[in-house]
This record gives sequence, structure tokens and C-alpha cells, in this order.
Amino acid sequence: MTHTLHRRGTYENLKNDYVIFAIAAQTVNAKGTAPLFQDFYNIVNKYDPVNIGDMVTGNMYSLSKSVIENGTKDNSIFHAVFTDVETVVKVLKDLKEANLGLSIVVSGILKHVDKCCSEAGIQRHTVENSLGILGNTKKLPTEKVLQINTMCGHGMIAFNLIEYMAEMIKMGKKTAKEAAEELASQCHCGIVNPVRVAAILEEMAKLSVTERD
Amino acid sequence: MIIEKEICIGCKRCQLYCPMECINYNENQRKCEIDLDECVECGICLRSNVCTTDALKQQELDEMRKLRQTFSNPLIPHKTTSVPGRGTEEMKTNDVTGRFRRGHVGVAIELGRPGTGTRFIDVEKVAMAVALIGVTFEMFNPVTDLMVNKATGKIKDDVLNEKVLSAIVEFDVDIDKLEKVLLATKQVANNVDTVFSVDLACRLDQDNTSPAESIAKKLGFEPYITGKTNVGLGRPLFKEGE
Repeated sequence: MTHTLHRRGTYENLKNDYVIFAIAAQTVNAKGTAPLFQDFYNIVNKYDPVNIGDMVTGNMYSLSKSVIENGTKDNSIFHAVFTDVETVVKVLKDLKEANLGLSIVVSGILKHVDKCCSEAGIQRHTVENSLGILGNTKKLPTEKVLQINTMCGHGMIAFNLIEYMAEMIKMGKKTAKEAAEELASQCHCGIVNPVRVAAILEEMAKLSVTERD
Repeated sequence: MIIEKEICIGCKRCQLYCPMECINYNENQRKCEIDLDECVECGICLRSNVCTTDALKQQELDEMRKLRQTFSNPLIPHKTTSVPGRGTEEMKTNDVTGRFRRGHVGVAIELGRPGTGTRFIDVEKVAMAVALIGVTFEMFNPVTDLMVNKATGKIKDDVLNEKVLSAIVEFDVDIDKLEKVLLATKQVANNVDTVFSVDLACRLDQDNTSPAESIAKKLGFEPYITGKTNVGLGRPLFKEGE
């Protein structure tokens, strides 16, 4: 499951996009971990993440945070999305001190995450690199649509819906924030960064459909 | 998923929400209908609550429709993984499981991602191409579970035409075989009717670098600036050689 990998974008818009999540190994240390995911929630929630979600319950744009917090299970995969590296460092320091024993993964610009780990006094263990998209790439939409679509690794945000939201903004029927949060709600896991989505949608809305290629 | 025609008012709102673009509007009947051959049973149309008349219905699924659902609906855990979603724990828990050790690389080739979907006939092509090099398919993985021969990557014939949102061919390979694997991956990319996303998971060397990334760059791949980092806080920490 590589659901937070393969996020496409530019350096400028990816430098505001970091997902921190917790998971237990089902065959090793998962038993009895449900309360530990609540501890994880309490740590990340202190720093006002722009999205939160658990794969076993849902995300904060479709459920209340308390439902997510209280719905943790031993097979939870609990995510929080942040927009700056300073906060990532603070969260990592807290997680190190809490010593929950859950595996912690950070998705984002690898060099930045490496620096965050150093500042938090953590030695990186394993890294996963995306090598990009191969195959019949003629089937792919425009780059900006891809940048939004790939924020949900399970592919729950339809290409057409992204274009539609850009049109709604263009016509003044939705704000970029409203459109971004509606798209974020589609991603059950809560790993979409609605701040980044709003910025990309605003860029799309400035252009006609043909200019977006 | 189906649309109950008696209830559908033909507003077409649901069409926008379908990642596979398989909800069609029937001009004669003025109703929407789902092309079940293209529908992957991801369920997002229903979960979106977009239908104002509740015409979208989750029908009873037979074995093959359930297979589609398992690979497409992220809320459904697979029997081999116990976690929701079609993927696996891969590197996320590597600090605890030791799944990818030094000298080895974890490779995941996710067909159908982003956003295009795939049939298992293409999944098999990729699996069989890399199997020739001598890889170890991940045991706790839904695609591996469909293989009739884990040495060749051959997948059950009766599922080959089934379409899913995405499917991950996942394996471990000695790092000295990685170059051949990546070349085979590039080659088979010309023979599939979908897209796929490729990634490498690698235990970092003592000097904090990934040897797999260097090999990929040498072959002309351009790894994204973003990636996933397991920060090693899982406990008990897996210790190699014990």
C-alpha cells in the first residue's frame, strides 16, 4: 500500500505538503494498539493538521474528529497532514518522546524530511522512492489534475470532479477552500492536503479548459 | 454498484464522482446507468452521497465482483493483509518486520494508478516479466494471492479480464538484480493498456543513503523529490542477523 507515495507536484507546492502517519505491524506488534493510535491523535492534533484521518473510520471532512479519535482499532492507519517542516519537527520530537512503539512514516520532500529527522534526533530507517509513471501515459489527464488526484493514493478523486471544481471556482459558485474540502472528503484516509488543493484549483480556475494542458 | 432506474431522475451528478468514468447517461430513457464491465466496485459514488434520490445501490456481489471491490474500495481489508486498502504494510512497518533488509530492495509496481484502472491481464504481463529475473513475490499481498504459480507470476485465468482500480505487483529482489528488474519494467511498459506507478523501498545504508535510488538514477529514472520515510520509531525494532 503506497497510498501517500507518488504525490506529484512542483517543488514550490510540495514544500507545503507533509503526511505523518502511524501503523502497527499486524503480525508483530498490532495487538492492543488501538489506544496508542489515540495517543498518536492527541500528539498530532496539538499542531492543527489540515487533515486527519484513519483508514478504519474516515477523514475529518466527512466525520467529526472525535469519531475518528474514538474509532481507532488495532489495524488503524492514522494520518495527519501538515503544511510546514517546522511543525513536522515538533511532531517528530513529541512522537520520539512518547515512544508509542507504532511505526511512524513521513511522506514529503525527502531532503526536507531527512533534515526534520536530524533536528528531532531521529535516524531514518527505510526510504521509499517513487520512480514515476510508465505505460500508456496517453490515458493521463493534465498535470494539475494529476497533482490533485495523486494526493489520494487510492484514486478516489475522479479526474472529472477536479475539473468540475475548477469550473465552479471560475464561475464564482464555490470558493477554492469549499471546493478543496469537498475533494478532500472523497479521500477516506484523510491524506489529501486541502490547502495545497485549493492553491492548485485556483491556478486552474484562472485558465480556460484548453489552456490547462 | 447499480442505479435503480425507477428512482434515478437523470440529473447526471453522479457521473462526476466516478473515477472510472463508467456512469453513462441513457438519452432515450433519460436515466443514468453503470457499465458493469468497467465499474470496479470502488463505492465512491455511493459514499459521496451525491445522489439526491438514493438511486445508487450496492447490489449483492458475486465472487468476481467482490474481487473487484477488494482491489478498488479502500475500506475493504484483504484476507492476506488484515489492513484496509488493496495494498500492504510494505516499508511502513519495516523497522519492526525487517521485510526489506540491507542488500535487498522492495519493489512495488502499481498498475492502474493514477486514475486509469487495470485488468489483471496487464497485471500478469508485469508479474511474469519481472518473475523471469528471479524475484520473491510478497506473500501478504492480494495480487500474489491470485497467482497460480509464484515462480512465474502466472495469475488465475478466470480473473484475467476483471477490472480493478489498481493492483500492486510487489516483490523483494537482491539489489544486484535491481538493474535487470527496472529494465524489464521499462520494456513491459510498452505492452500494457494502462499506466503504472513504480517505487523502490530500501533500508538505508549506515551513511543514510539509499543504494536503490542510485541504481535507478543510473538507468535514467528520475526519482520524485518526494517519498516516504520510515523514521524507525516502531518497537520492538527488528535487528538484522538475529
